[in-house]
Amino acid sequence: MRARNGENLLIEMDEVTKIYTLGQTRVEALKGISLKIGYGEFVAVWGPSGSGKTTLLNLIGMIDQPTSGRLCFGGREITSLTDNQQSDLRNQAIGFIFQGFNLIPVLSALENVMLPLQIRGEKLARALPAAQKRLAQVGLGDFIQQRPDKLSGGQRQRVAIARALVTEPSLVIADEPTANLDTTTAMKIVDLMRELNRGENTTFIFSTHDQRLLAQVDRLIDLQDGLIRGEEYRR
Amino acid sequence: MRTWFKIALRNLKKNRRRSLITLLAIALGFASVCLFGGFTQYMYDANQEAAIYGRALGHLTVFKQGFLEQGQLDPARYLLTTEEIESIRGICTANPQVVMVTPQLQISGLVSNGKISTIFIAHGLVPSSIDAFMNGMKLFKFLEFEGRKLEDDSPYGVAVAKGLAKLLGLKVGSNAVVLSTTVDGQTNALDMEVFQLLNVDTEFLNNKVMRVPLAFAQQLYDTRGADRMVVLLDRTENTEPVFKQLRTAMQELGLGVEIKTWKQLSQWYQKVRDMFDLIFLFLFVIVFVIVVMSVVNTMSMAVLERTREIGTLRALGLKRRGVLLMFGIESSFLGVFGCGVGLLLTFMVRAWVNFAQPTWTPPGISASVPLKIILLPSYMVSSGIALVALCVLASLLPALRGSRQNIVDALGHV
Ligand SMILES: Nc1ncnc2c1ncn2[C@@H]1O[C@H](COP(=O)(O)OP(=O)(O)O)[C@@H](O)[C@H]1O
Ligand SMILES: [Mg+2]
Repeated sequence: MRARNGENLLIEMDEVTKIYTLGQTRVEALKGISLKIGYGEFVAVWGPSGSGKTTLLNLIGMIDQPTSGRLCFGGREITSLTDNQQSDLRNQAIGFIFQGFNLIPVLSALENVMLPLQIRGEKLARALPAAQKRLAQVGLGDFIQQRPDKLSGGQRQRVAIARALVTEPSLVIADEPTANLDTTTAMKIVDLMRELNRGENTTFIFSTHDQRLLAQVDRLIDLQDGLIRGEEYRR
Repeated sequence: MRTWFKIALRNLKKNRRRSLITLLAIALGFASVCLFGGFTQYMYDANQEAAIYGRALGHLTVFKQGFLEQGQLDPARYLLTTEEIESIRGICTANPQVVMVTPQLQISGLVSNGKISTIFIAHGLVPSSIDAFMNGMKLFKFLEFEGRKLEDDSPYGVAVAKGLAKLLGLKVGSNAVVLSTTVDGQTNALDMEVFQLLNVDTEFLNNKVMRVPLAFAQQLYDTRGADRMVVLLDRTENTEPVFKQLRTAMQELGLGVEIKTWKQLSQWYQKVRDMFDLIFLFLFVIVFVIVVMSVVNTMSMAVLERTREIGTLRALGLKRRGVLLMFGIESSFLGVFGCGVGLLLTFMVRAWVNFAQPTWTPPGISASVPLKIILLPSYMVSSGIALVALCVLASLLPALRGSRQNIVDALGHV
């Protein structure tokens, strides 16, 4: 595994902390995380609620800034990037899958999937086939014109997965992607993510507090109280 | 870009009631700006017409140099001689835009019915020129007198303001005597016959004013001169260029005269304009406040409701300015549709005005005239653009707040 050899790393975190201050109270959500993740890994961040999973994923996904420490993405130190540069990097290199699906309600499944491409200014002639391909890949080829409110939870999350993959990112971040789904659907979603990870060598990091979903993962990061308590390589 | 248009339109449709109320506010604002603008234009045009034609000021007036400052004190010195009148006429008639050049002489003195006398001021003009002036009246068109027309062949037939006639007990056909001093300082008296009773609205003038044939005025002052030459042009738009051409031509001849445009001479017109500009400003401020407030309100609600959506889009890589653009487009749609509906309203009101032809009595006019609304496309287009720009600017306030918030906080928003 490349990650263990320390070369060609996608993500490198060094003593990263995150402290939330709410008036007088300070919450140390992350207390010093050092972590290396290589291209193509399928990583689960596991831990009880409040352990800092969401915070960790937000920092890796560049939608939040660490309080201290070093965080590199694809070899670039990201804390020194401007907001616009981070936005560009998110658009090019990262796909997001949210717990609440976060589809745009006024757009159809197809339009939702095309969105990341259109944010970067891609022409419709290129965005359309890419989005159609991804929707077919997640098994929603027949539902492309539906608005999100006409789809089931599992279908919505499939649309979200198609949206996350349409830009062919190097990393997909999924924060508790199955928390709003029943067990069978949740299993299917994890299977789908695993399949896409294998097929295209896209790195996946997802968080969960459900042990049943961990069977598929290569690597398990056990988060406890803002610290990595243990790591486990499954394969 | 199409995606952002789609998102904007669909969100407006989704919040139908809210969008409609904002749209209506913009529409009413736009319609009132257009309609009041159209009414203002009518007032400008009508008062311009009243100055040039109704009060027989013409487009341009030529005076002897210094007449306007000192003419009142020493009229004899500042009269145009017959030679000067002919030179001016020659220069003016050579200009193809000039329709008519006519001498006028304003006089004052006493008028008496045999028992009582009172002061008068009179406008002496060539009776046959009066029709040329009156034919130019299109907006404030009304019969301004009772009785018969003044005639070139009846130099003693004059027009008397109704107030003055009442004061002296004069009717159409009555006779009276006017008294004044000639240019040489001799006392002179002339008989006159009332041909017309004039409608004069200004109280101050109503018991003083007369209109007399030029020959009558000249005979009373014992002169063959005039105090001004009035020039009528084919079109009012030509006033400025012809003004410059004639001024140069007269300077080259060394005539010792000065030339003024109707605007320079008509303080009334300028005052009406100033007043309407002020009222318009007032209206515009009200519309401005209403539009800004309703757009800020609507867009604040939109930003608040879609906080999670903003967070999602930012996570997908949308820049801060992209968020501004998204809400800017939405608000410009409100502006464009609002103006569209406003335009419809404007045309509906104008159609009603054209159909019902309501009449009114404007200030400075003694009869009721049909009310009109004169819509200028250039004016409506610029108001529309200004209003849409205003909508976009108003949306920036809430949109900026939306674009600046922390992405994680936005995503966690419920
Ligand atoms: N925006 C915030 N402000 C203050 N405290 C926060 C905020 N977000 C998370 N926390 C706190 O940080 C800790 C870690 O939270 P989180 O990363 O959401 O954990 P998890 O996703 O594992 O449930 C928790 O104690 C939580 O209360
Ligand atoms: Mg969480």
